[in-house]
Order: sequence, then C-alpha cells, then structure tokens
Amino acid sequence: MTERKKVLIIDDDPDFVEGIKSILDSADYETEVAYNPKDGWAALKEGKHDLLCLDIMMGRGAEGVMLARKIRKDAVLREMPVLIITSIREQIAFLFPGQAVHPGFVPVDELVEKPVEPELLLQKAGALIAAAEARQHGAE
Amino acid sequence: MKDAVGRILLIDDEEVVLDSCLAILEGAGQDLATATSGSAGMEQVRAWAPDLVFVDLKMPGMSGMEVLEEIRALDPTIVCIVFTGFATISTAVEAMQRGAYDFLPKPFTPDEFRGMIRRGLDRRRLVVEAATLRREREALRENFAAITSHELRSPLGAIQQNLFVLTTELRGVISDDQQRRLERMGSRIKDLLELVNRWLRGFAVDFSSLREGFHPVAMAAPVEKSVESAQPEAVRKDIDITTEVDPAALVLGDEGTLAEALLNVIGNAVKYSREGGRVRVAAVREGEKVVVSVADTGVGIPQADLPHIFDDFYRGKAGEGGTGGAGIGLGITRRIVEAHGGTIAAASEPGRGSTFTITLPALAGPPAGPEQVPKGEAG
Repeated sequence: MTERKKVLIIDDDPDFVEGIKSILDSADYETEVAYNPKDGWAALKEGKHDLLCLDIMMGRGAEGVMLARKIRKDAVLREMPVLIITSIREQIAFLFPGQAVHPGFVPVDELVEKPVEPELLLQKAGALIAAAEARQHGAE
Repeated sequence: MKDAVGRILLIDDEEVVLDSCLAILEGAGQDLATATSGSAGMEQVRAWAPDLVFVDLKMPGMSGMEVLEEIRALDPTIVCIVFTGFATISTAVEAMQRGAYDFLPKPFTPDEFRGMIRRGLDRRRLVVEAATLRREREALRENFAAITSHELRSPLGAIQQNLFVLTTELRGVISDDQQRRLERMGSRIKDLLELVNRWLRGFAVDFSSLREGFHPVAMAAPVEKSVESAQPEAVRKDIDITTEVDPAALVLGDEGTLAEALLNVIGNAVKYSREGGRVRVAAVREGEKVVVSVADTGVGIPQADLPHIFDDFYRGKAGEGGTGGAGIGLGITRRIVEAHGGTIAAASEPGRGSTFTITLPALAGPPAGPEQVPKGEAG
C-alpha cells in the first residue's frame, strides 16, 4: 500500500495557492499550505513533506530564495525536492536582458513558471517525488 | 546673487602661485587646500574629495597630466582646471582631452581666477546633478520593471491558474459552449499577460547593457529561430517564408534579442500579408556590414506613417488587413538594433509590400567556439 504523498505549498497569493492546491488535491496528494516563508519554515520543521512547491516573490522581495537556501543548508530538509513556481524568470529577464538565468541562482530541483498548466504541474511533482525516492533507496 | 562655494584644491609646485591664489580667495568663503606636488595633491583628492581641482601641468615628479588621469579614474565628476604657462597652450588642449574642463593661462588676474572658479563650481554642480538624475532614472526603470511585473502579473497569473483548473475540473460537467468560453477567457488573459510583458520590455529594459554579454553570432541562428516562431501564423495564412543566409553574415551581438528583433519584423510581415503571400528573409555580408532584409508582398505602409513606425506606441492607421497591436514591437526592434550599433529602415509601396532592412556592423572571421548554433537546434 502506498501512502498519500504530502506536498507543502508556500505562496503569499491565496488565489494562486487555491489553484495549485486544487490540482494537487484532485491527483490525490495531501496538501498543506503556508502563506508566508515564516509559517512555511515552521511547517517544514514540524512534519515530513514529500515535496515543496515554493513561490519566490514573497514579502519584501525574493524571500522565497532565502527560504530555499535555508532549506538546502538543513541536513534533513535538503533531501526534500523543491519545485519553484514563479514568474521570476521573466522578471529576471527584464532586469538583466539577454542573460540566461544562472542555474545556481536558486538551489532547487525544478522551476516552472506561473501560471502552470495542471498536467505540467502534476508531471513535475510526480517526477521529483519519484527521483527523491529513488535517491533514498539508493542510499539505503 | 552669491557666488557658489565649494572645496577647492590647488596643486602647484610654485608656492608663490599657491600663495597668491589663497590671497585672491581670502574671505570668499571657499574651502581651500593646497599641495605642492602631484602625489601630495592626489592624497588630498582621495582624503578630502574636492569639488574643483586646479593643477599645474609642469611639476617635478608626478605630472599634471598624470594627476588628471588619476582623478578621472577615481571620480569623473570632480572638475579639473589646469594652470598653464604662456608657451603651453597646446598641452592645455591635450589636458582637456584628458578630462580637464578648462585651462587658465599664467599669469592670470584675480578676476580671471575668480571667474574660473565660478565656472568650475557651476560645472561641478551640473555634473553631479546629471549623475544623480541618471542614477534615479536607472532606479526608476528597474523599480518600474520589478513592481509592474509583480503587481500586474501576479493577479493575472492567479486568475489564469484558476481558469486552468476550472477548465480541467469542469470538463464534462459544463456544456461544450461553456467550456469554450472558459478557454476563451484563458486565451484573453494569456494575451494580456503577453501585453504586460511587451510593455515592460518596451520601457523598462536598458538594451545598452546587452553589450557586456556580446559574443560572435552567425545570423543563420537568429534568422532560423525567428522564422520558426513566425511559422505557425504563416502556415495558418498560407504564407511562404523563404530564407537566404550568407554564411559570412557574422556579427558581434546577443543572439536572443537579435532573434526577438527579427521576429517583430517577420511577424509584422506575416501579419500584414494577404493569404497566400510571400515573405523573403535574407542576410548578406556587404563589406564591413551585415544586411538583413525582410520583404513582404503585403498591404504596405502608407507614406505618411513610414517616418514614425519605429517610434514607441505608434500604430499607424492599420489600413487594409491590419490587426490589433500595441505599437511596441518595432520600437523595441529599433532599440535592439541600435544597441548592436546598427540601423533599421523601411521602404514600402502601399498595396504591393514593404521591405525592412537591418544593417549591422559585420564581424570578421568565423565565430569561435561553441557559440555557433547547429542548424535545426533553434527553438
């Protein structure tokens, strides 16, 4: 028997969260939501999640980046896949035209742009969770 | 009106010159410092940040010219004026080429000296103001981009996200007609998001900063990319796009924005062509230049509109077959081309078609390294 996979969504836009959550709920994921990086961090520390869907532009700037870096420094949380859902790629392209977004800009596993097509979201989420599990089994 | 006051540094190895300058300015309220050598003067410049520097050209040790160069490298807003002997007017001119604002031939009268100080401090005020305005403009531009993109795009993105979800969730629950309307809403929001992006691109981007990332580009790559992007609409209207690219058509530039510039032009050619029309894209090397032309057999551009089509927000009269647009594309194209050191021009015969010509400085030799995009990899 496989357990339902647990996904945490951190995004400060409730309408957007609702859209994402609805897609994941319909695919039988167990979803949890935080509307700011602080609550998100608390939720991450409290329970184990199979995937984090993270927004970048929150609060007074790119607070999602800070959170992603913090996660990568945490011995336990760093094993969890992170899916960035953001429109920042375009914003960066505006601020630094012609430059490719540096792949090391945010230490995450995948990045999709807002708004995201339901099929694409489910495909990325499924692949990230599967890859993380494979890594874990490989390590055991 | 009271004269401007500021920090004035006097550098001259002849103490008698310094003393008489100080005597002239006594009681004028200026903040003064002196140095008797170039190197001592530079120490003062670093420690004290003067507004205005008078420097003698002929000094033992570090010369006045070297002082000028160092100051310019340190802070180009510091205004420098050179003292020069009667016989050295030609060197004074050379000094001005190295960044000196003016020169004061020795000997000078107190009034000449005071006048020069007034001019120098005025100049300093203007230079500092201009630098501040430039910084403010840059900050405004960047903030505008960041704020607009977030504040406008976020709500649109959230709406679009929920439309995606509703469209999926309600499939089979609502009627086909309702489903179609939902999809139509999604497509309108998508257009709106794209419009916001284009506006941002039109206003907020300083294309001149592209130059730092320039590398050799074979025009085949951006031509192929842009034609590929224009292809779906061309196929829909049964328009044949032909390309002819000279392998020697190499430029130093940014491939992505060059493709964007070309797409704006090719996209227009397709948009303003009648069904079954033809668009010819050619890139050739002509001596020191690369000439890219896009010719269509479309409705053409009225002569009255031609001089304005590269202006931001100019939309013309649209004429026959014209469809909606924001009047941004060609303005962006012009700015991209200009950032590449090139020019763009258009010729048109109403009813028969238009030809757009982009001329860029050519790069000698083949592009080095992995930058060359192999055919078929575009997109």
